[in-house]
Amino acid sequence: MNYIVGAFKPPCNITITFADGRTGKQVPLKKENGQTVMVPLFQSQENIVGEVSIEPFHGKKVEHNGVKIELLGQIEMYFDKGNFYDFTSLVRELEVPGDIYERKSYPFEFSTVEMPYESYNGVNVRLRYVLKFTISRNYVSNMVEYQDLMVRNYTPLPSINNSIKMEVGIEDCLHIEFEYSKSKYHLKDVIIGKIYFLLVRIKIKNMELEIRRRESTGSGPNTYVETETLAKFELMDGAPVRGESIPIRLFLSPYELTPTYRNTNNKFSVKYYLNLVLVDEEDRRYFKQQEITIYRLQES
Amino acid sequence: MVSEGIEDEEKWLAEGIAGLQHNAFYMHRALDSNNLRDALKYSAQMLSELRTSRLSPHKYYELYMRAFDELRKLEMFFKEETKRGCTIIDLYELVQHAGNILPRLYLLCTVGSVYIRSKEAPAKDVLKDLVEMCRGIQHPVRGLFLRSYLSQVSRDKLPDIGSEYEGDADTVMDAVEFVLQNFTEMNKLWVRMQHQGPVREKEKREKERSELRDLVGKNLHVLSQIEGVDLELYKETVLPRVLEQVVNCKDEIAQFYLMDCIIQVFPDEYHLQTLETLLGACPQLQPTVDIKTVLSQLMERLSNYAASSAEVLPEFLQVEAFAKLSNAIGKVIEAQVDMPVVGSIGLYVSLLTFTLRVHPDRLDYVDQVLGACVKKLSGKAKLEDSRGTKQIVALLSAPLEKYNDIGIALKLSNYPRVMDHLDSGTNKVMAVVIIQSIMKNNTCISTADKAEALFELIKGLIKDLDGTPVDEDISFFCFSLMRRIFKEEQSSVARLIHMLHNDDPEEMLKIICVVRKHILAGGPTRLAFTVPPLIFCALKLVRRLQGQDGDVDGEETSATPKKIFQLLHQTIEALLSVPAPELALRLYLQCAEAANDCDLEPVAYEFFTQAFILYEEEVADSKAQVTAIHLIIGTLQRMNVFGVENRDTLTHKSTGYSAKLLKKPDQCKAVYACSHLFWVDDQDGVKDGERVLLCLKRALRIANAAQQMANVTRGSSGPVTLFVEILNKYLYFFEKGNPQITSAAIQGLVELITTEMQSDTTTPDPSADAFFSSTLRYIQFQKQKGGAMGEKYESIKV
Amino acid sequence: MVLVLALGDLHIPHRAADLPPKFKSMLVPGKIQHIICTGNLCIKEVHDYLKSLCPDMHITRGEYDEDARYPETKTLTIGQFKLGLCHGHQVVPWGDLDSLAMLQRQLDVDILVTGHTHQFKAYKHEGGVVINPGSATGAYSSITYDVNPSFVLMDIDALRVVVYVYELIDGEVKVDKIDFKKTATSQSAH
Repeated sequence: MNYIVGAFKPPCNITITFADGRTGKQVPLKKENGQTVMVPLFQSQENIVGEVSIEPFHGKKVEHNGVKIELLGQIEMYFDKGNFYDFTSLVRELEVPGDIYERKSYPFEFSTVEMPYESYNGVNVRLRYVLKFTISRNYVSNMVEYQDLMVRNYTPLPSINNSIKMEVGIEDCLHIEFEYSKSKYHLKDVIIGKIYFLLVRIKIKNMELEIRRRESTGSGPNTYVETETLAKFELMDGAPVRGESIPIRLFLSPYELTPTYRNTNNKFSVKYYLNLVLVDEEDRRYFKQQEITIYRLQES
Repeated sequence: MVSEGIEDEEKWLAEGIAGLQHNAFYMHRALDSNNLRDALKYSAQMLSELRTSRLSPHKYYELYMRAFDELRKLEMFFKEETKRGCTIIDLYELVQHAGNILPRLYLLCTVGSVYIRSKEAPAKDVLKDLVEMCRGIQHPVRGLFLRSYLSQVSRDKLPDIGSEYEGDADTVMDAVEFVLQNFTEMNKLWVRMQHQGPVREKEKREKERSELRDLVGKNLHVLSQIEGVDLELYKETVLPRVLEQVVNCKDEIAQFYLMDCIIQVFPDEYHLQTLETLLGACPQLQPTVDIKTVLSQLMERLSNYAASSAEVLPEFLQVEAFAKLSNAIGKVIEAQVDMPVVGSIGLYVSLLTFTLRVHPDRLDYVDQVLGACVKKLSGKAKLEDSRGTKQIVALLSAPLEKYNDIGIALKLSNYPRVMDHLDSGTNKVMAVVIIQSIMKNNTCISTADKAEALFELIKGLIKDLDGTPVDEDISFFCFSLMRRIFKEEQSSVARLIHMLHNDDPEEMLKIICVVRKHILAGGPTRLAFTVPPLIFCALKLVRRLQGQDGDVDGEETSATPKKIFQLLHQTIEALLSVPAPELALRLYLQCAEAANDCDLEPVAYEFFTQAFILYEEEVADSKAQVTAIHLIIGTLQRMNVFGVENRDTLTHKSTGYSAKLLKKPDQCKAVYACSHLFWVDDQDGVKDGERVLLCLKRALRIANAAQQMANVTRGSSGPVTLFVEILNKYLYFFEKGNPQITSAAIQGLVELITTEMQSDTTTPDPSADAFFSSTLRYIQFQKQKGGAMGEKYESIKV
Repeated sequence: MVLVLALGDLHIPHRAADLPPKFKSMLVPGKIQHIICTGNLCIKEVHDYLKSLCPDMHITRGEYDEDARYPETKTLTIGQFKLGLCHGHQVVPWGDLDSLAMLQRQLDVDILVTGHTHQFKAYKHEGGVVINPGSATGAYSSITYDVNPSFVLMDIDALRVVVYVYELIDGEVKVDKIDFKKTATSQSAH
C-alpha cells in the first residue's frame, strides 16, 4: 500500500471510518506481510456505510480531478502474482474535480452489497474485499487509500444433516464400522462418533482422526491442489479386540478452519475431509477419508 | 540377557521420571502464574511420559504414582481456576483439545472430578462420560492405570445415597452402573493381557497380571462400599452383572481372583441370600479354575457368619444353604471333568466343615456329604495319591473333632464306606485317629451294636484287609519300622477295648462277645496284643457279677461267671496259635484266681491244669520258667477253693517243677517259696508245719549242693546268700508259730552260715555279708522287742 | 531336696487304656529328679512317656513287661537313703510284709519299693520303709478289689523322706503325706 502513496509526501491525511460503530466490531486479518491487523467485519447484503475525511496538511491544498470510493472483491492467485481478478466492483463518485483546502468529509454508502464469497487466505489463493479510495490528480499519481474488509457469510442450521456411517476393511484382516454423527459441521462444532471393531487380526498400535483441507485452484491443466492436515487427533491407544467401540469427540474450535467453499467464482474451491487412520505395530497406516462440509453457523 | 532387561527398565524408568519432572516443573510455574494455557500444555507433556510401553507394570506404577501426585496439584488449580471465572464446562472442553489421547483422558478425569464437585452437572452424567471416553485406551496396562485413576478420583464423588452428589431416585443405580462399567472394562483389559505378546513370555505375563489384579479387584471393593447397595440391589444388579463379566471373560486367573474377591468384599449375609446365583456361576467357570479354594473360602466365611450369632441360623435354613452348596459342588465336579479326585474330595471336606459348623445337629447332612463322596470315589481304584488320602482322612476326622464322640460317626452310614476307599495304610492311620479320638474324649462305647460298628470301622487294624501285611522284599530297617508301627497300632486297639463299657452285665457280655469275634479274626500276630485286654475286661465283669451273685440262677441270663470263664478259656486258647505260652499261662492263672473268688473249684482247677500244661510243654526258657513257677506258686498260695485232693495234686506239681529248675539257686528259691503253699497265714488257711519244714530242708539240701558246685567252679553268685534266705524263711515260720521250726534249728543255721562265711574256700561276698548282718540285727531287734516275740527269740544266741 | 516319683503296675494296654488324665496333668516334665518304677508298664510307649517326664529312670521287671532287659531287682542311693526296687511277684506270699522285709534285708536298703498288689501301702519296718505305690492306672488286680489309681512322690532331704501318696478316688485326687526320719541307729552296719 505504501508504494501507492508514492515518493512524494502526500499533501493530506485520509481517514476512512465506518458508521454503526462498526469500527469496534473488528476481526483480525492476516496480511500478506505476515502482520495481523484488525479489520471490520461484514457479511453479504449488508450496507457498508461510512465516511472518508480528507485533511490537507497545513497550508496545502489538494488539487484533484475527482474523488471516488470503490468496493472491490478480488481473487488473487499466488502463481499469478499481482494479477487480481475483481469479481465485484462498485464505485461511488464523491466529488467533482476541484481543490480541497480544508478538512472535508465524504459520507459514502454501498447498500445491500452482494458479497457472495468470504474473505479467504489460502495456500495458493486469496480472496479479499477492500474499499479503495482514490483522489485522482493530474501530473502526479493519484492518492489511494485502501481499507480491507472481512466478509463472513453465515449459514443457518442445515435442515438435512445425515450421519456418515460406513463399514470398511481389509478382507480377513480388519473390519471396522465408523460413524460420524453428522456430515455438516459448523466451525465450533464437535465431531461425535464411534468406531466399532468387527474384526481385528492385525496388531494395531493406535488410531487417529485427521482433519484435512483440500484447496484446489485454477482449472483444467492449470489446477493446483494443496492438501493440509490441520488436525491430528489420537482416538485410541493400544490394540482393540473384536467388539470394542471407541468413542470420537473432536472439538473443531481449536483449529483454524473455514467453511467449505465448493466453487468460488470458478476460481478455486476449499474442501474438508475427515481421515481415519489406523497404525499397526509396523507403522503401516490404514485409512479412510470422508468429506465433511463445514459451514459458518448463523448465530441466533 | 535378563539382567540386562532389568537394567534397561531401570534406565527407562529413570528417563520417564526425569521427563515427568521436567514438565512438572514448567507446569508448576504455569500454575503459580495462573497461566492456564501453559498449565495445560505442560501437564499434557508430563502425562505423555505415561504413554511408554517399555515398563513392566511394577515400574509403570512408580511412574504413575508420580504423575498422580502432580495431578492432585493440577486438580487444585482447576478448582481455583473456576473461581477465577473460567467455567468448568469450558475447562472440560479445553482439556479435550489435547491431541494425544492418554494425557487428554488423564486431564479429562482430573477436570471431571472438579466438574462433579462443582455440581454444575449431575455427577452421573460426568461419570458416564468419563467412563465411556476411557475406552480410547485399549492398551491393557495403560488402560488399567487410567481407569484406576478414574476410579480413584471418583471414589468420593459417587452419587450414592447420603453423598452430597446424590441425584434423583436412581442415584445409587447410577453409582453402581458407573463402577460396574469401569470394572467390566478393566477386567477385559486385564484378561486381554494374557493373549498379547509371544507365547514364551506367558509366565512373565502371568506374573505381571498378578501384579495388576488388585487394580481390577478394587472396583468390587468400591461397589461393596457404596452406600445404598442393599441386598436387593446386590441381588438384582450388582452380583449378576459382576458374575456375567466373570463368567464371560473365560480367563482362569481372572475368574479365580474375582470369585475370591466377591466372596471377600461383600457381606456374608448377601452371600447367603444370593447363594444360588453365586453358586450358579461356579460350574460355568473354566475347568482349570481352582474352584475348590473359592468354594472353600465361601463356606469358611459362611461358617464364621453362622458362628457369629445364633440369630442368623434361621437364615441358613430358610435359604437352604446346605442343599444349595451341596448341589453346587455336585455340579462343579460334574462340570470340571478333569478335576482330580483330590480336588473333589477337598470340596467335600469344605462342605463337611461348613455343615459341622453350621448344622451340627444335622447328622443327615453330614452323612449326605459322606455319601456324595462315596459316590465320587466308587468305581475308582483305591486312592494311592497321598494328597487324596490326606483329604479323606481330613473328611473323616472332621466329624470326630466336631462331636468328640465316636458314637456320632458310628451313626453315619456312609462313614465306613468312605473308609473303604482308603488304601490299607491310610485306613489304618484313620482307624488310629478314630481310636485316639475316643481316648482323648474318654468316650464310652456302651452297646454291642456300637462296638460292632466301631470294630467294623477300624477293621483295617483288626485284621489283614489285603493279603500279607509284611512284604518279603522290605529291608530290615523297614521291617523293624513297620513292626514298631504295627505294635503301636495294636496297642491302640488294646487300649480301645478298655473304652467299651456297660453297667448292665448282659450288655457288657454282648460287647465282649462282639470284640472277641472281631479280634479272633485278627490272626496270630495281633492276638498277643488284643487278647489280654479282652481277658481283663471279662475278668472285671466276672468280678462285678461275683459281687452281686447269689440269686442269679435263671437260665435266661447268660451273663454268669461260669459262662464267661468258658469264653475266657476259649479265648486264651487262641494264644497258643501265636504262640504266646507265657502270656497264656499268666492269663490262665488270673482266671484261676478269679474262679477261686467265684468259688468255682472245677473251673479254677481246669485253668491251673492248663497253666501247668503250658509250663510243661511250651515254656522252655529257663528264666521264663523261673518267673512262671513263681507266678504259679504265688497264685496257688492264694487259692482257697480247692479240696484236699486237688490241692495236693497242684502243690505236688509245683514243688516238683520247682526242684527241677535249671539252676540250683533258682531251684532253692522256688522250693522255699513252695513252703508257703503249706502255711497260709489266714484264719482258715492251711497250716501244715511238717510239709513246710520238708520244703525248707529240701531247699537247704539244694543250697548245699549249690555250695559244693560253687566250691568246684568258684562261681560268682554266692550260695551263702541262699542259706541266709532260708534262715529268713525259718525265722518267718518260727514267728508264725510253726511248731516244726525250732529255735535250735535256727541257732544251727546261724552257726552254719557263720562258719561258712569264715571258711577260706568261700568267695567273699559283701552283699551276702550285709544280708546276714541285717538278718542278725533283725534277730537282735526281735529279741529286744520283749513280749511274746522277745520270749520266743530268747534262746537264740547271735 | 530331691523329688522321686515312684509308680508301677500301669498294665497299659492290657488292663487300662492310659494313665488317668488328672495324673497326666500333674506329672509334668522337669519337676522330678528320679523315677522309680516297679514294673508292668507294659509297652514301650509308656516307657517313653515316663522317660519324657524325667530321663533318670529306674525300672524293674514286672511279669507282663515286654522289655526283658529290666532287672528283677535294683538298688540305688539317693541322698542318705538306699533304695531297693522290685516288682514283687517273686516274693511269695504276694504283698506279705514279713516276706518283703526279708527282701529288704537282702537288698540291705532303707526304702524298699515294690508293686504287684495294686494296693498302696507304706510301712515303717525295722527302722526302714516299705512302700507299694499301687497301680498308677488303677488296673484290675486279682489280689486287690476296687483298685484306685495311685502313685507316690518321695521328697528326700538328707535324713528325711516325706512320702506323698496321690490317690484318685471317685474322680478326685486325694493326697496323703507320710513322714519318715532315718535315725543313726537304723543305718546299715556296713
